Amino acid sequence: PMTPITPATPASESSGIVPQLLYAFKSRKIWNKNSENIVSTVNLGCKLDLKTIALRARNAEYNPKVRLASIQITCFPPLSSEEQSRLAARKYARVVQKLGFPAKFLDFKIQNMVGSCDVKFPIRLEGLVLTHQQFSSYEPELFPGLIYRMIKPRIVLLIFVSGKVVLTGAKVRAEIYEAFENIYPILKGFRKTT
Amino acid sequence: FLDALPRVTCPNHPDAILVEDYRAGDMICPECGLVVGDRVIDVGSEWRTFSNDKATKDPSRVGDSQNPLLSDGDLSTMIGKGTGAASFDEFGNSKYQNRRTMSSSDRAMMNAFKEITTMADRINLPRNIVDRTNNLFKQVYEQKSLKGRANDAIASACLYIACRQEGVPRTFKEICAVSRISKKEIGRCFKLILKALETSVDLITTGDFMSRFCSNLCLPKQVQMAATHIARKAVELDLVPGRSPISVAAAAIYMASQASAEKRTQKEIGDIAGVADVTIRQSYRLIYPRAPDLFPPDFKFDTPVDKLPQL
Repeated sequence: PMTPITPATPASESSGIVPQLLYAFKSRKIWNKNSENIVSTVNLGCKLDLKTIALRARNAEYNPKVRLASIQITCFPPLSSEEQSRLAARKYARVVQKLGFPAKFLDFKIQNMVGSCDVKFPIRLEGLVLTHQQFSSYEPELFPGLIYRMIKPRIVLLIFVSGKVVLTGAKVRAEIYEAFENIYPILKGFRKTT
Repeated sequence: FLDALPRVTCPNHPDAILVEDYRAGDMICPECGLVVGDRVIDVGSEWRTFSNDKATKDPSRVGDSQNPLLSDGDLSTMIGKGTGAASFDEFGNSKYQNRRTMSSSDRAMMNAFKEITTMADRINLPRNIVDRTNNLFKQVYEQKSLKGRANDAIASACLYIACRQEGVPRTFKEICAVSRISKKEIGRCFKLILKALETSVDLITTGDFMSRFCSNLCLPKQVQMAATHIARKAVELDLVPGRSPISVAAAAIYMASQASAEKRTQKEIGDIAGVADVTIRQSYRLIYPRAPDLFPPDFKFDTPVDKLPQL
């Protein structure tokens, strides 16, 4: 028989430590934040010859078919904080400067944040889609994960049978945390018992 | 919901089904004999036309049967074939072209209905599914929320939804086979339509596809029932978490057919089900260890369980 689930007052985030089972109840959530990706835009304040930059700079991808002709700069390894993202953007402004364009660093804004974590138990997606059908979309023919569109905060979560969860669409870090707080008790309710 | 004609009912017996008397044009209540409607116009066809008759003389004075739900009302004027010398110009062509454009506002919709009927015909879908598809398409079209999408894509997605709603789902790949639209696009339209019409569909199960796949493979009823049982048990015992129900169904059919006299290869099953044979292999590997528990108790083995192929 499953241990009773205490109502959600989560403890502070413990980065990835699996709590020991004390007194036969679990009160802590387990949360590994493995990787977080941050996509941001920055207005460099000048006209750019995108092709030249893409060819000359490393780590830059130029996709002319995309509507807003832009350069997507991917950073390896994934950034773990907003400050690092800003720093990386500054570095690229520098790169563009060195290529000969009068670049300035204006309007840095983070556009999207992605987080992933693991609840460490398998999930009954069929049950979840039955009860939350206004928010969920689960089509095994199209995608093996359940797509949960949370309204408040406005986050999209990809929930998998293994218990891994991907959260995306956040503008600030707090939204990711809040969304996970909201979904965790729901997922616990659909834990697979076999 | 298919009848737009005004209904008359007997005032004393509102539930009674009225009897029509053709000769007098009356509608009579069978309970009390009250004549409820008189001088009712018979909307049946005026003449019977047979296919071997010469088609030039069509004595019908009215047009095709009305389709009031799905078009604007179908009221339009058409110019008939000319009779007499004055209607032909110098080359022998008719002076006035035969059919003028009718209901131009819904030309696209009627085109889509034709396309839907063609698609449904290719996979022999019954009339009720086609009607449901037409209704769905009409709702989506009037809402205009998916206006930018290709009509064929919306039609294909409506067809998919209608099959699901009628309890006889077709896989996306089966719909792709009769449509020119890609699976990706149909999937996208499918999700958009569900959101636009604020409906949802039931989750697909392995049993939905068994009868179709097994018939296409010419497998006997025993094998089909065994495969259904295997797939259901495999899902119950959670041997195949996260696998698409189609893949599980295909693997179950493979196991059942290999245990019977009617063996089918993975490639054959993969062709019918629309899954790759490696996919079948993957799911089969997951259910193979519990094979003895999955078969129905009364199954007659042609090949015993321990001699089943191990992939």
